Amino acid sequence: MTSSKRRAVFTGLGVLSPIGSDPAAFMAALHGGACGLKAITHFDPVALPCKIAGVITGFDGRKIIPASMKEARKSIARMARPIQLGVAAAQLCMTDGGPTPEQVRPERFGIEFGCLMGASEPEDLARGGQLSCTGDPPQVDLARWGADGLKAVPPLWMLKYLPNMPACHVSINYNAQGPNNTITSVEAAGLLALGEAFRLLGRDAADYFLVGGCDSRVNPLSQSRYNSFAPLTRTHNDTPEQAVRPFDAARDGSAIGEAAAVLGLEAAEVAEKRGAKVYAELAGFASGFDRTRKGDILARVIGNALRDAGLEPADVDHVNASAGGLVEADAWEARGIRAALGGVPVVAYKANVGNTGAAGGLVELSASVLALHGGSLPGTINCTKVAADCPVNVQVGSRAVTKPAAVKISVTDAGQIAVAVVRKV
Amino acid sequence: MRRRVVITGMGVVTPLGHSVGDTFAALLAGKSGIDRITHFDARTFPTTFAAEVKGFDLAKFLPATAGRYSDSGLNTRFALAAAKQALDDSGLLAAGLDPTRVGVYMGTGEGSEDFPAVIAGSAAGADATGAKVDHGKFAATVVPMLHSRREAELEMNTTAAHVAAEFDLAGPNFICLTACAASAQAVGEAAEMIRYGDADAFVAGGSHSMIHPFGVTGFNLLTALSTRNDSPETASRPFDATRDGFVLGEGGGVVILEEYEHAKRRGAPIYAELTGYGTTGDAHAMTDPHPQGRGAIRSMTDALKDAGLNPADLGYINAHGTSTPANDETETLALKGALGAAAYTVPVSSTKSMLGHLIAAGGVVELIIAIQAMRRAVLPPTMNLHTPDPACDLDYVPNAAREKSGVRHVASNSFGFGGQNITLIASRI
Repeated sequence: MTSSKRRAVFTGLGVLSPIGSDPAAFMAALHGGACGLKAITHFDPVALPCKIAGVITGFDGRKIIPASMKEARKSIARMARPIQLGVAAAQLCMTDGGPTPEQVRPERFGIEFGCLMGASEPEDLARGGQLSCTGDPPQVDLARWGADGLKAVPPLWMLKYLPNMPACHVSINYNAQGPNNTITSVEAAGLLALGEAFRLLGRDAADYFLVGGCDSRVNPLSQSRYNSFAPLTRTHNDTPEQAVRPFDAARDGSAIGEAAAVLGLEAAEVAEKRGAKVYAELAGFASGFDRTRKGDILARVIGNALRDAGLEPADVDHVNASAGGLVEADAWEARGIRAALGGVPVVAYKANVGNTGAAGGLVELSASVLALHGGSLPGTINCTKVAADCPVNVQVGSRAVTKPAAVKISVTDAGQIAVAVVRKV
Repeated sequence: MRRRVVITGMGVVTPLGHSVGDTFAALLAGKSGIDRITHFDARTFPTTFAAEVKGFDLAKFLPATAGRYSDSGLNTRFALAAAKQALDDSGLLAAGLDPTRVGVYMGTGEGSEDFPAVIAGSAAGADATGAKVDHGKFAATVVPMLHSRREAELEMNTTAAHVAAEFDLAGPNFICLTACAASAQAVGEAAEMIRYGDADAFVAGGSHSMIHPFGVTGFNLLTALSTRNDSPETASRPFDATRDGFVLGEGGGVVILEEYEHAKRRGAPIYAELTGYGTTGDAHAMTDPHPQGRGAIRSMTDALKDAGLNPADLGYINAHGTSTPANDETETLALKGALGAAAYTVPVSSTKSMLGHLIAAGGVVELIIAIQAMRRAVLPPTMNLHTPDPACDLDYVPNAAREKSGVRHVASNSFGFGGQNITLIASRI
């Protein structure tokens, strides 16, 4: 690997999560062992085996976008909730530490997001459905849909849901004309987007990136879909705060939360020149695919990321794991971590916020960035007895950061891996 | 010195054929892949035609494993077929590579939500006016209608995961979706990872099918599609004054990107070097391109700079050329802005006139077409271009293929809804 790459640092942060919607509140909640998973009350979940979710209550994107940004405020109505969350988190990040238009040229301002296709909102389709369905339960007649139903759908319907829309709207809001991409690798998407932005900065294709992840699958269609195939826990409908149990002997599935995180990632010399506040350095990145999920490939990818960072296993303060209480995937990840880093302390925050999909990697990473910056790392909840098949040293309870680097892992159930290494500055 | 990246294998599944050879031959003959929609009953939709892939059977490409993908979307199945062709073409898998040094980067579009279930749920939960929906009733209607395996396959990471698993590729694994720019962006970023050293080779490209009720509904509502229902095969008419929208297509394409020394050492077929990549954002609007084409101009000039070329060095450009009023005029403007006087001498054609718009898959398929044009010394035409548009006054290779030898560099433009602009340049080696 080349050694001449430019260094990249985090200079801003916006977080929206079920346990806190600014960095300080989010960290305080993690330190306090808070859990944002609750019984679903925003609709009747009687048809769902898993009746819990992590919802951000009281979110209003229009209130987060400043009144001076009139068009941006108006645009919020054209976005499904995941996109609203991403756009709002970007504003929080810009407020926290974004550059002024004079500090970064538009062509050097890039956007990278992890986001998925949004789920159709029933309200958009109900009238059209009524005009084209017969029977009970209703059955859609395509001829009637094409003739009448379709016309009852809002004209901009499709644009409300496209995964690249957070990156589109954010680029418009801040006149970011640099590279603009959207990664859709579900749970790995956010960290892969971060890695790509890191490479783009490294090769001098931009000076500043807003890197975001956003997702909301607490709506009725996503909940119906995920209950049909995803490994969601079905035993904690009455005890949602204990539902997601990373590496725990009693883990039996995940639960879904909604969230967004956007980080400002900036070439170190540019940040220094403008006197930006620096949270931490993004030092290394690697990705891969572990078909058999034995753990050896994951261990190699962790090693590649450390090598990219120019660091040794001994430099690692903690691993921030992807683990979401899944029976097989947690064990796979644990084997990989053990093989690469031995008994290093491991934390996993899906227990607190649930599986937040494309947002997860960056929401969880934010905790490590803030821990390296502030000096204190929150522990893992709901891991009361580490499972025999998860050979990792799970950190329970907060403790002081003692070493310079954190390793953040995101994996998908299919075997995709992204690893980022963050270093204290 | 940065590592050089070459293309050592190519594969496509398109409305005009299930191989690079068949597709390119049909394009030279000016054939249209556009016809009535057969995937579903679209007779009452505002648009009743599309460019469908015909007679596709994954088992012809993967006889032993095709059954595993019976619940996968067409996006995944097209990608697997294109990847198999490209990998066989390159001989990469027989070369004894370390699997962790071979990545997968797909610019692949989403599959379709379960249309009957979602519409039924919305209707069942709605009040009398259809303005409010009881989400509990919606879920109670939808849950029993969903097919678990198909829902799992709808997850957006699955295509890149299946390609990696099928061919045992353990390197970096990405999937992006930037609308119509996606597969070109995938190729560009994958090439950059090889340049950097993250991998020695990549299976890169994309795939998409939106020829389903939700897809046609969405584009019809945006009035983006041609509605020339009486003449599907002439409906896609890029740069023509009478153009009225794009024609929805589907398909997949994959190139094998490989570090040059590596390819040379193993005696791989080398089709071209990927020399230039430009990636920009318009920061302008959700659908319309910037009226002066500012992002498109910069994606082209950045790609030229990346390749160390002057505009006149280009021997052919495969345009984004969608046949929408806005794109074709703006792209023409951008070509002039980026190339200067050379814009009038470099032939530019839009093969979307025959293939339709493959959405996320379009970029990589059109890059492959441009490389074939360079290798075979013949440029595919822009068909259906009969009425000149004063705003579109370049050499679009109208209505007939044209022999052109000595082409050393070709470019392909891809611009996405949302403002992503990608230009790729491939060069003879």
